[in-house]
Amino acid sequence: MDPQMMVELGALTLVGAAALIAGVAEDLESDVGSQSNPNSQVQLAPQMGYLHRLYNKAISGEPASYPFYAAIGASTALAVLSITGNSSLIGVFFALVAGAFVTSLIHGVYATTSYMGRLASQSRFGQPIYMDVLRTHTPVLMAHGFVANFSVLLLTWVIIAQHFSPFPFVVLAFIWGIALGGVGSAVGDVHLGTDRYYQDRPYGSGVNAAHSGSVVRKAESGLRNSIDCAWFCSKFGGPLTGLGFGLVVYLHFWKEVVVTGWWSVLAGVIIVVIFIIMNTYLERYSRQRYGTYKAEAEE
Amino acid sequence: MFSLLYWVWIILGGILIGAGVHFIPVGGAPAAMSQATGVGTGTTMLAAASGLTGLIGAGSAYAATGGDFGYTIVMGGISAALMISILAFIANVMYVYGAGVPLASAKVKYDPISKWRQDLYVSRGTEGHGTPMSSFISGIIGAFLAGVGGALVYFALAASYAGIPGFGATFAGYPAPYYVSLAAAFAIGIFFLNCVMASYNIGGTIEGFHDPKFRRLPKSILASLVVSAVGGLFALLIVVMLPGGI
Repeated sequence: MDPQMMVELGALTLVGAAALIAGVAEDLESDVGSQSNPNSQVQLAPQMGYLHRLYNKAISGEPASYPFYAAIGASTALAVLSITGNSSLIGVFFALVAGAFVTSLIHGVYATTSYMGRLASQSRFGQPIYMDVLRTHTPVLMAHGFVANFSVLLLTWVIIAQHFSPFPFVVLAFIWGIALGGVGSAVGDVHLGTDRYYQDRPYGSGVNAAHSGSVVRKAESGLRNSIDCAWFCSKFGGPLTGLGFGLVVYLHFWKEVVVTGWWSVLAGVIIVVIFIIMNTYLERYSRQRYGTYKAEAEE
Repeated sequence: MFSLLYWVWIILGGILIGAGVHFIPVGGAPAAMSQATGVGTGTTMLAAASGLTGLIGAGSAYAATGGDFGYTIVMGGISAALMISILAFIANVMYVYGAGVPLASAKVKYDPISKWRQDLYVSRGTEGHGTPMSSFISGIIGAFLAGVGGALVYFALAASYAGIPGFGATFAGYPAPYYVSLAAAFAIGIFFLNCVMASYNIGGTIEGFHDPKFRRLPKSILASLVVSAVGGLFALLIVVMLPGGI
């Protein structure tokens, strides 16, 4: 094998691993903060008469907030590197840490104002603002956001350093932020929204629209908070999100590193066909395994 | 260099982006509660997530071949299609193993491609769940179109900006030339313009080409045409203001 390709594949493995960690941390962050899609249920709950101790922050959808964080982190890292220079690896590492740190501070500011603002607007429904929830949850989601953003910055830096993409650091980090938010929003949220928020409903069914807002508010012991949700989702939703984002980033560059030219296009087509076949098997399995919800005569 | 042909490509790219968004199965917020068929995130965001991943592929292809038109365009499309196929598949794994629901659509009785019965597999009080076969294929087609559209816009802008004297240079030790940065930033902007137009037209959720909302496509094409024409003109006219632009 070409030695250059071996180096590139090694770098790509690092990129994939960073993407996996980014995906896991991103999903768990959104679970602690109840950002993105399932937030609609948390937001609705007090209006339906269900007061809760869940963290309610919807700064924006995840695919909009993560590119924003990534771009801020990348700009900060570049600003630091413009002073220290990018010749030493340890210098680059600390610049990326500085970028992710500034990002997590801004994340914390937005989370706090979002939580206070959202719950203050629900005072007419009797929803209290729990200061202990704010104090305990905000550092947790900032920490998860730090890990996710550092991983995005790291994978973007490796991509740039290995010349996988000609795009500049900030633009590339921005685009991977959108992709990360998209995967986190599409995959991990289902575990939180369908399963964790409606654990008192029968498993193996979509949430009936009539039950919207009646989220579970009691925990195994005491009242449920959003850190409990992150604990639950770290068992399946988080890792699957990580796998999804890792695959997106890894396979995207894999098809360009292992083969070149029009063969990359062919490799891409083959991978897409493989996913179509796997999806067909998955769909057939789900139908055979779970069966129908109503008998044919009832239709 | 300013060229009318580049403007036409940007408009065509914008139309393809707008059309592609209509193919992508979007479940929006209800999909996270397994209440709607499709991938659970917003229309604009899902299209942008896949289409801009395609833009990264197109950017690499443009740089690697020195501006080969066909390769750049196809690479943009296939990279976007690859992204959404992974995303929809992993989301389906989540639905099947995490939420325990079969993949089903509530808009059609039989899936147009697999011919499998749908209505019996839709749980009570929901509009379907997961991304079944037709929506999956539709999503791949949509992402391909959006990726091709994004790549067309990028190609036109990059080719236009590359002709400006001094824009082939790079800043300090970083590999990206100026024109790549500028073209990527404007391509993202035009991509979002068209995604948002299309998402207003869809209004929430869509399952793919078999959804009744898909018939609203012609209106979106007209809107994309106007928006891309104006946005593209601004993006291209920047070169006029720079020394040696025309």
